Amino acid sequence: MNPSIFIILLTTLILGTMMVITSSHWLLAWIGFEMNMMAFIPIMMKNPSPRATEASTKYLLTQATASALLMMAVIINLMYSGQWTITKLFNPTASTLMTVALAIKLGLAPFHFWVPEVTQGIPLTTGLILLTWQKLAPLSILYQISPSINLYLMLTMSLLSILVGGWGGLNQTQLRKIMAYSSIAHMGWMTTILPYNPTLTLLNLLIYITMTFTMFMLFIQNSTTTTLSLSQTWNKTPIITTLTMLTLLSMGGLPPLSGFMPKWMIIQELTKNDILIMPTFMAITALLNLYFYMRLTYSTALTLFPSTNNMKMKWQFSPTKRAPLLPTAIVISTMLLPLTPMLSILL
Amino acid sequence: MSLVMVEVHVRIMVTYIVFVLSIIFVISFVGVSSKPSPIYGGLGLIVGGGAGCGVVLSFGGSFLGLIVFLIYLGGMLVVFGYTTAMATEQYPEVWVSNKVVLGAFILGLVVESLIVIYALKSGEVKIVFEFDGLGDWVIYDTGGSGVFSEEVTGIAALYSYGVWLVIVTGWSLFVSVVIIMEITRGN
Repeated sequence: MNPSIFIILLTTLILGTMMVITSSHWLLAWIGFEMNMMAFIPIMMKNPSPRATEASTKYLLTQATASALLMMAVIINLMYSGQWTITKLFNPTASTLMTVALAIKLGLAPFHFWVPEVTQGIPLTTGLILLTWQKLAPLSILYQISPSINLYLMLTMSLLSILVGGWGGLNQTQLRKIMAYSSIAHMGWMTTILPYNPTLTLLNLLIYITMTFTMFMLFIQNSTTTTLSLSQTWNKTPIITTLTMLTLLSMGGLPPLSGFMPKWMIIQELTKNDILIMPTFMAITALLNLYFYMRLTYSTALTLFPSTNNMKMKWQFSPTKRAPLLPTAIVISTMLLPLTPMLSILL
Repeated sequence: MSLVMVEVHVRIMVTYIVFVLSIIFVISFVGVSSKPSPIYGGLGLIVGGGAGCGVVLSFGGSFLGLIVFLIYLGGMLVVFGYTTAMATEQYPEVWVSNKVVLGAFILGLVVESLIVIYALKSGEVKIVFEFDGLGDWVIYDTGGSGVFSEEVTGIAALYSYGVWLVIVTGWSLFVSVVIIMEITRGN
């Protein structure tokens, strides 16, 4: 793509999300969402193919519908409160509509169907932007309206998301679809704790973004998109096998890695509210997630599949791809657990 | 006698002009969304734009209503019409040419007429929010202060302390054109 056009699109993408995060007027927030979506679509079509076109179309349809629902909720809120300020909503209908609209934007179940298909149809870097940057804007709005969100609606969607994210990823071998289902499950964890303690939503978002960024950077390093090609990494860049294993275990939420921090804090916060069955259910369904991470770890780092002797003697070229920030990201996504008390900066 | 009757009917209709225009507005969008060929969709948008302009005019916003005609219909829809004319097919679909389109259009009309009858018959409408029958659709007063015209003050505000909105919308329109051309370029 022409570099100046790419810069314009990236600028608009960043500007859109920034407008959503920093605005105090609902109209500007809606404009930010639209700018975000419009600018992301040609980025998804960077390498034009029918697959990418299909992914872009699905993305456009779902996000535009969600924006229209958001606008409807804003107008109903305007009718009952007479003002456009972004605070908690003043009408249960408006609150329900807006929660559903933002759930469609995030990819929460039962509106999750677009996430794996869109993630699969786009290149790895674009998929990274989709699963990390595009989550910031809807979560910031959810954070701001969190006092007025219907508890049962939010909990139903998030518990369903954790289940669907774990269950749906079980039969996948394509890495982008696995990351998509992992995103659905993590969004479920984030929105579970939103009605109780929104700070932990931000903590979970931070750790999730770091871990997803690390995973995608590791994939981009060797352009691996399937489990099969990931299992060949021992031959190309052996250090990546270890790092992939560590990051995957962190995503699964195993202590002493940093992925354990948000799950621990969320379960602790829920038990402080005298809720015991729900975090048990969440922890058990998160095991489904851990299973397919473990399967990736197994085929990547713990097993060498039988191969001919020729394949074991690969000529080692010096790497041409630079992975930006990879060492930093790996350290943050695996070693952050002792810094848990620092989450108070998110308050 | 018949002239007096016509005058009385027109007088009464003028009171309900916003209601009538709203019905025509919805009909035009039903016509667009029942998916005829884009040219006829543009025709539906023209009717809808005209009805919407009429509603805005009835609330006292004469400048903004005429801006709808000028910019929306005279600028954007003309460009849309030209681009559609370049990509049109030999026998474009009208509302009556295809049973599916006709069925969707009639379905939309039927549902709309049901809602209109519900609004007229019952004392109040309580679907999402409640309003009392026709009260919001019959103009007794324009709302607002009655001292100055809020519409003109709003436009003036847009260019004074609302200038960020002008920048944002201008950038969005520019980026939209860039995006459309980038997507359709393909290569």
